[in-house]
Amino acid sequence: MTSPAFEAFLARIYVDPQARAEFLADPRREARKAGLSDAEGEALAAIDRKGLEMAAASFKAKRAGR
Amino acid sequence: MSRDRVGLSWRPQLAAGILTNLDRIDVVEVIADDYFDAPRSKTAALRTLSAQAPVVLHGITQGLASTVAADPKRLSKMARLVETLRPASWSEHLAFVRGGGVEIGHLAAPPRNGATVDGCCANIDTARRMIGMTPAMENIATLIDPPGGTLSESSWISQIVLNSGCDLLLDLHNLHANAVNFGYDPNEFLDRIPCSRVSTVHLAGGRWIGRVLDDHLHDVPDPVYDLLGELAARASQPLTVILERDGAYPRIEHLLAQLDRARAALAAGRHRRAA
Repeated sequence: MTSPAFEAFLARIYVDPQARAEFLADPRREARKAGLSDAEGEALAAIDRKGLEMAAASFKAKRAGR
Repeated sequence: MSRDRVGLSWRPQLAAGILTNLDRIDVVEVIADDYFDAPRSKTAALRTLSAQAPVVLHGITQGLASTVAADPKRLSKMARLVETLRPASWSEHLAFVRGGGVEIGHLAAPPRNGATVDGCCANIDTARRMIGMTPAMENIATLIDPPGGTLSESSWISQIVLNSGCDLLLDLHNLHANAVNFGYDPNEFLDRIPCSRVSTVHLAGGRWIGRVLDDHLHDVPDPVYDLLGELAARASQPLTVILERDGAYPRIEHLLAQLDRARAALAAGRHRRAA
């Protein structure tokens, strides 16, 4: 499990608030739309949601140079 | 006599303090990426620094811990800098930093599984062939428990180190942060990784935001010095210890005092090992 597509999916939900919101609303649907495997979709459905929001905020601050 | 070295990360804001205290700084770590496209004068200044103090290079944008092949153009920039400076070592992170054309802007923890072990080892091998030196690879702090993992952090790191032949740059604040954030014992982590392969150590500080954030803006906390002593008690090889500070800069004496405290922690650990 995991692939370049899985890493690309993670990168997108880390930096794009809309993609992140759509993902959190239905992780399995968004994983399928991205062409990820069922196993990858299940892994994403179990994501550390608190950590996702904190990491996304931290990455945003880094990109802003703070 | 110990051959451990203790030094500081180079930042322009610290330049004067570093250059006037080289008798108390054994080694200087420079962010390589700051010099990839730098004008000749900036690289010349770095050569001047390397003539005055041992310099090691630290990369932040290669993203080698990935199932995606490393970018040869980016690696060639590191190769040119290594050729120019001929440092004793260079390092990168056990992180991915981009995916599908999206730049994350910082170090992200990849899924910890066999695919990323293999991808990272392949990228380390590419880096070794292009640059002529194997990078030491650094454990990263993460605020998110990365999805898609099948391996513990210690097992994932150990497999990469043992399979690739790289050394480990062990960031003890990153270890502390992850241990607090995800509820494991950092001393047991040290028991599970090949401490004999640690060549370099990073020390830093952070703050609590609901989890520990590794921000490099604060002093090194006590548990990190304790971990340095624990590592020194487990490892017989010389260690290069670097204090990282990225902002909220205090007076240089304040940072030098932290280097002295690191030396004391190393000495205490070495003494325990010898006992």
